[in-house]
Amino acid sequence: MTATLAPSSVDLADVDWALMEEQAAPASQTPDHHTPPTSEDTASSDPRAQFEQQALPFMDQLYAAGMRMTRNPADAADLVQETFVKAFASWSSFTQGTNLKAWLYRILTNTYINTYRKKQREPYQGTIDELEDWQLGGAESTTATSSRSAEAEAIDHMPASVVKDALQSIPEDFRLAVYLADVEGFAYQEIADIMKTPIGTVMSRLHRGRRMLRDLLADYARERGIEVPAPATSSSGSRK
Amino acid sequence: MTDCGCDQARKDLEEYLRNEVCKTEHADIRAHLESCPSCRDEALVATTLTAVVARACKETAPEELRDQVLSRLRAEQATHH
Repeated sequence: MTATLAPSSVDLADVDWALMEEQAAPASQTPDHHTPPTSEDTASSDPRAQFEQQALPFMDQLYAAGMRMTRNPADAADLVQETFVKAFASWSSFTQGTNLKAWLYRILTNTYINTYRKKQREPYQGTIDELEDWQLGGAESTTATSSRSAEAEAIDHMPASVVKDALQSIPEDFRLAVYLADVEGFAYQEIADIMKTPIGTVMSRLHRGRRMLRDLLADYARERGIEVPAPATSSSGSRK
Repeated sequence: MTDCGCDQARKDLEEYLRNEVCKTEHADIRAHLESCPSCRDEALVATTLTAVVARACKETAPEELRDQVLSRLRAEQATHH
């Protein structure tokens, strides 16, 4: 479990610091009144105390993301540990007042891609953006949409394990986009920065990932005798 | 405020629900949803999916991870500072 996977001085060349700094708010920004009052006090004196105070509260979230990325607790823990070590090493480059969570997620995602993904054996490693919609399921359907709310109902009652399994089974790029948007609530632009892809790619991955997820969950419900309307494409009728 | 119709509303529904910029005016999508039960159901499925995924993915980091991270950070500081 101890992080022996990478030296602590791992290079951060892959992190696009310039871009992060572009997002920095102007210096004139007034202090965020939501920031706990404690952060200013210890901050100046000791960078480590400041880092721990500000960054460590994200541990559960980063761990949860790590679990979806690596798919096992030991690797997730190592990944989170590496992420914090790298983040601390670059702490001086973080601009106070900018989005710390997004900054940490960029480091997490980079670390994952550069270190962990390489050693994982996945049936499919790369991007499948080039796949056509029909290969991803979701045939056109004329099912009456009046039964659509039954689908919402079925999804709402899905056991967490089923949802996680479904998420786990969709291709990684799609999974990450869905995770960052749905679980973390990142905006498209933030996801684009984290995943280093254009916004259009984010949208496409998110839409298709969610479509796949939705179909998988509908299949699961149907296998258990719950009536869910056949998949209609998210774009039903919109493509002319 | 005009109703943009099902096709437009569905196409940009995700963006509307996430408050992202899209080609269709948010107000037009809103107007459409008010008048179209079927698109409202579609929106309900979309928001339910988001809520369910978020709920399912909650994790608590193991207790020992926190300790490991803290000791790594202390070691890092001792080495580099």
